[in-house]
Amino acid sequence: MNKMSTSSHTEKNIYQPFEATVVDIKEETPTIKTVVLKIRSNFSFRTGQFIEMTVPGLGEAPFTPSSDPGVKTSIEVTIMKVGMVTEKIHGLQKEDTVGIRGPYGKGYPLDKFKGKDVVIVGGGVGLAPLRSLLLSLFSDIDNYRSICLRYGARTPADVIYKELLPEWAKKKKVDVVTTVDIGDPSWKGNVGLVTTILKDLPVDMKQAVAVVCGPPIMMKFVTLKLLDIGFKPADIYLSMEKSMSCGVGKCGHCRVGKFYACKDGPVFTYEELKDIHDIWD
Amino acid sequence: MFSMETYFLKHEDILGFYERIDQEYQLLVPTKITAPLALKCESGINLPTDDYLLKHYSQLKKEEVAFNDYRCVEPIRTYFTHFKEEVCSYFPNDEKQETQTKPFAISGVKNCDLFSLKIQDFVFLGGNEPDTLYTQRREGALIISSDCPHFKEACFCRAFGIDPYPQEGFDFNLSALTHGYLVDVGSPKAKSLVQALKEILVPATSGQLSGRATKRDGVVKHLDEHLLYHKIPAKETLQDIVRHGFDSSLWQEQIQTCVECGGCVFMCDTCHCFLLADQPEGENAKRIRIWDGCLYKNFTRVAGGANPLKMRYMRLRNRYLKKFDFFIDTIGYQACCGCGRCIEVCPGRIDIRHILRRLYEEKNLQVKESA
Repeated sequence: MNKMSTSSHTEKNIYQPFEATVVDIKEETPTIKTVVLKIRSNFSFRTGQFIEMTVPGLGEAPFTPSSDPGVKTSIEVTIMKVGMVTEKIHGLQKEDTVGIRGPYGKGYPLDKFKGKDVVIVGGGVGLAPLRSLLLSLFSDIDNYRSICLRYGARTPADVIYKELLPEWAKKKKVDVVTTVDIGDPSWKGNVGLVTTILKDLPVDMKQAVAVVCGPPIMMKFVTLKLLDIGFKPADIYLSMEKSMSCGVGKCGHCRVGKFYACKDGPVFTYEELKDIHDIWD
Repeated sequence: MFSMETYFLKHEDILGFYERIDQEYQLLVPTKITAPLALKCESGINLPTDDYLLKHYSQLKKEEVAFNDYRCVEPIRTYFTHFKEEVCSYFPNDEKQETQTKPFAISGVKNCDLFSLKIQDFVFLGGNEPDTLYTQRREGALIISSDCPHFKEACFCRAFGIDPYPQEGFDFNLSALTHGYLVDVGSPKAKSLVQALKEILVPATSGQLSGRATKRDGVVKHLDEHLLYHKIPAKETLQDIVRHGFDSSLWQEQIQTCVECGGCVFMCDTCHCFLLADQPEGENAKRIRIWDGCLYKNFTRVAGGANPLKMRYMRLRNRYLKKFDFFIDTIGYQACCGCGRCIEVCPGRIDIRHILRRLYEEKNLQVKESA
């Protein structure tokens, strides 16, 4: 049986993960944790690109790092417990070893956001990749007109980055509004779906872009709302959650029309997707 | 530019030809499996029903080596990406180098198979991230293709303009004549073997070449007659009709007999989807690549539970969109070579020829109504 390429040492086996060490684990909510990984020095990613993270001997799953791409020594990945791999990730301890492949995909086109009002709409754990985007924007804030974050979670207990949200709100040129679908006695903020906090955005529609990440149903209604308030399809950027295995456009799982989410996305403009059937399913 | 040379090989020398190749390669050759039952052919043309399977030349008796009149049972891709195989191990990463084994040679490859290899090449060699195992096998392999002197009931290559004889994409090509074979030498790799075969290869005569042309024309004519019965739409219409048929009730009607066995995707020579799965192995772990298929329920399911292809009819439709919309958009031609393996394997008798014809009819009927 052939096992590995014999052609040369330099030829890269595209399925081979490299090692990373868990250095910290933060609990965000009862079902969401942020894992901090120390990685080899020559790894870097652009905001919005994703990685395949391996639990040794069990399998791998795709995640978009939630940390600042400018930090080269470690990455953070915020992960909700939803399946076999993520359940194991939630059980990881400091010093445990995981595998990483990537980064894959195109990421957010920051060049196209320059000089604009950037509206960022997150739902639930969908704020994770957006945090990486926010940190990238913060570190270069002079190049953007403003940042407008709108975040919705199901309940107050499901809100992630609870300590970070108020800090972000204090930054210059940054406007943050949050909401929960269902409140509780401790919650003093907005109650309602995230679409209810998209009215009267403090932006100039002529020079604004919107970036959306969240569960499919939320993405659908946020997109419709954004179109309704005057965003052009080409100015709405969506993170498409698809089943992905290889990350490099070969395994076939993540096809969306003529695209593969892994190599052509996972971020697409609505303009690219609007004529494709059933994109929200 | 490589210029092709053609030689003549006498019937009795074919084993000598194989013998020589088997010295440098692990040679696979077709053997015949006789079908116990004759198949009634709806087009009314009497067609052969025997099958051919590839086996290692070195393990066969001489009389078991056959010339296959049409494509073998198994898809050729199975020699380039195995159904289930280890692709790497970790941690520590396996830096072991494989002990060099002989590359393989396959005889009995048909033009439909060569067309499919173009799709596999696009997937596994293409992009910035070529698959190393595939690359290694593809570069190492010697492809010995051959003309089809006959065809099976399910064969429909000509419907998509693919001829039942190869003209490119092979190392050697064999065309059976009455007393032997014409041997096209199609690559530098094949040419390097010709010197060692010079005692049995003689330059082809113009009479032999025109004899081959007549034979080829005869097979094409015969196959076209057979295909007339099936009325398969022309390749230029494929993308249009599958797009137009998105909301057709045809998908739900046709999926009724599907038992989700995955036969159509696994026998398909242009399908390429796979899944990576990990297994512990002592202190280590290994990563396995397994062929996957879009007719399976969980093909597009994400861990969060969303599944864009949750219904069976959606998955059948997806298969056609992938083959006739995605690939035509992406590389300019359809991911179907007309080999008919999916037709033969399907226990539910779901027939790609029938579905394409129905899609074509639905589109044209509706266009007429709205005109």
